[in-house]
Amino acid sequence: MARITIDPVTRIEGHLRIDVEVDGGSVQKAWASCTMWRGIETILQGRDPREGWVFAQRFCGVCTTVHAMASVRAVEDALQLEIPANAQYIRNLILIGHALHDHIVHFYHLSALDWVDITTIPKADPARAASIADGLSNWPGNSHRELAAVQNKVNGLIGSGQLGIFSHGYWGHQAMRLSPEINLILFAHYLQALEFQRKACQVVGILGGKTPHIQNLAVGGVMNAINLNSLATMNMDRLGTLQSLFQEMIPFVQQAYFVDACLLAASYPEWFRYGRGVANYLAVPDLPVDAKATKFDLPGGVIMNGQLGTVRPVHDWHDEAIRAAVAEDVTHAWYLGEGAQQPWKGKTDPYYTDFRDDGKYTWVKAPRYDGAPMQVGPLSNILVGYAAGHPLTRKWTDTAFERISSINSLKVTPQAMQSTMGRYLARAIRSAMLSELALQHWQLLTNNILKGDDTTYNPPQFPQHEVVGVGMHEAPRGTLSHWVVIDKGVFSNYQAVVPTTWNASPRDQKGVPGPYESSLLANPVADPMKPLEVLRTVHSFDPCMACACHTLDATGREIAQVKVL
Amino acid sequence: MNSNADSSGVQGNSMPGLRPLERGTKLPAPKRVSVIGLGNVLMGDDGFGPLVVEMFRCKYECSSAVEILDLGTPGLDLTPYLYGTDLVVIADAVHADEKPGMLSIYCEADLLAHRAQLHLTAHDPGLQESLAHLRLTGEIPSELIIVGVVPESCDFGKGMSSSVLLVSSAAVDRIARLLVDRGVNCSRRHAAIQPNLWWFHGETEVCRTTISLAEVPTSDRPRSTLG
Repeated sequence: MARITIDPVTRIEGHLRIDVEVDGGSVQKAWASCTMWRGIETILQGRDPREGWVFAQRFCGVCTTVHAMASVRAVEDALQLEIPANAQYIRNLILIGHALHDHIVHFYHLSALDWVDITTIPKADPARAASIADGLSNWPGNSHRELAAVQNKVNGLIGSGQLGIFSHGYWGHQAMRLSPEINLILFAHYLQALEFQRKACQVVGILGGKTPHIQNLAVGGVMNAINLNSLATMNMDRLGTLQSLFQEMIPFVQQAYFVDACLLAASYPEWFRYGRGVANYLAVPDLPVDAKATKFDLPGGVIMNGQLGTVRPVHDWHDEAIRAAVAEDVTHAWYLGEGAQQPWKGKTDPYYTDFRDDGKYTWVKAPRYDGAPMQVGPLSNILVGYAAGHPLTRKWTDTAFERISSINSLKVTPQAMQSTMGRYLARAIRSAMLSELALQHWQLLTNNILKGDDTTYNPPQFPQHEVVGVGMHEAPRGTLSHWVVIDKGVFSNYQAVVPTTWNASPRDQKGVPGPYESSLLANPVADPMKPLEVLRTVHSFDPCMACACHTLDATGREIAQVKVL
Repeated sequence: MNSNADSSGVQGNSMPGLRPLERGTKLPAPKRVSVIGLGNVLMGDDGFGPLVVEMFRCKYECSSAVEILDLGTPGLDLTPYLYGTDLVVIADAVHADEKPGMLSIYCEADLLAHRAQLHLTAHDPGLQESLAHLRLTGEIPSELIIVGVVPESCDFGKGMSSSVLLVSSAAVDRIARLLVDRGVNCSRRHAAIQPNLWWFHGETEVCRTTISLAEVPTSDRPRSTLG
């Protein structure tokens, strides 16, 4: 029995510590711990709800827009305030731009190097790599010349003996199995992805005024002025620029990223067997297509116990069951008290002990749905949509399954998606869906404006009595909800239940572990000193700890340590 | 104007690693310049970067080549903002063996040699990784300068310490000088714009007073640790 501590886990946003007990080459027990705290919610108490989103978008430097969006939606929910259709579409386009950006960065820059061994690239034959890539996709960035140029860069990097940020990879690990040619293709796209990351930022910037901190939101809508005859406002020129940016991004998402995720899945089929973890899935609907938000382009729902045929649909954000079901348990988290509390009544009183396997061991609370842990994220999205027969989800999921089977005859099913590889694939499927929806929502906005509707904002009215609201958003990492209590026109309570809190949740009062922890059970570990396989499963969730558990000052950052006891 | 500013006596030129300006020569002005504030405005002294770039925007007027950005704590998402730029000046809290409030100028080599460590919030790994990515794509900034301050306290929601607030104005002027020295058009506004410091909650008056007190001529008050 070996105890492995990885602290911090690298290539994520924020600080995460993972402890596993390994016996006979696989994980027997696991703990996920966030080692830093800040009381983000306390800073919002007493503030004007109209400016809450400005603060909320500073919770995390990476997921800025999602917190801004959840915050305005929470206040609008509390006031039962409807927003204009234009505002819905403009918000949707910002969310799509942000999500595409986020998913691309996760696949290539935060996780590809768990699977791609760049030190083999000098051995690749670029001509052969180009012909393999040609057989998979018509992406124009796969030419022999392009791949040879990337190989040259990698040769230079390795030749210089200074791998720099790439020096901490588990190169040569026995679990790295891609051919030098496929490593070269994937790394070429890793570099090309930087260009498309920029385009996604431009989309958010055009609509949001600024990026990464958008300026255009308001409780009641958006502050974008629409006037087709004015140069300074949203006009056909800007709409045209937006459309071109999406049109440039779509081929990369569909022909490079989506295809690469299928290729990775076909190359590492055993990873459909590991990492299942908590088989309860939660997703909320998003991308409303009408002002009242009664219809959505991304479906929401709840699946329990891996029963993929039975989905309880979540039709809209007024869903009473979610409001009644969500509670946060602090039994194993460094907060005062035990047991669970509904977020509107939630408290954030820190109570630090040291790391205790059977006691408190993390700053992350344990959110529960009717007392059960839930997995959130693109996988929940896809499973819920697939089970509900959502056409767009079915289309891209089936396309992914066909592509994988055409590469290595592997038959992937929705059941097999409940795994480490399933989470990577689901993110790519979701991205392909979003890339298609981008142009649809652009069209909805354009049509509505051409129809003569230039309304973007309905002013809010604050009652003197107490009101409560919840703002939901299906963010790139999963279901995000902001829970607010407004009294006499100011926030009297504010709790954010974020995707990484669901997934990085610790054990609860009953001792039931959270999704990271249970997904690691039976995960292989060939070499305890190089726990690459643990990272693959943890990274499959796309952890972003910055708001889940909150940052604190620390002097000097050590390179991630792996301790084996 | 100012593109041929006399470089003699400018502290920045004597610093190791910073691009030397030869006396009398006129280098082409960088075409794309970014002045970036990094840090979380909700976390005390970590808000130094955003404060400084907002004050810079209000006090100085620059050519259209200059983009002024408060990027918060972007992590790897820093990359698109550095992509293809010629000159990048970053204001940030920096860990160094110095007392809080010490203002220093660092170049990229200082980061690589770990002489300076950007303040660890969520954005710590972002800069080095972003630079490495851009180096591989050939889109790396030609010159990167960090105007850093040693933070006193980065506690959540506690506001900035006076030692850091006091040097913020000097940091603003220092950024202007760094730009002018490199031929970038940048001059003091005739009338300063009121800064939008929305995150200074409750302590607004105190901060504004401190900031305006610090507005005295400060040519060389902050000593560079490298100078």
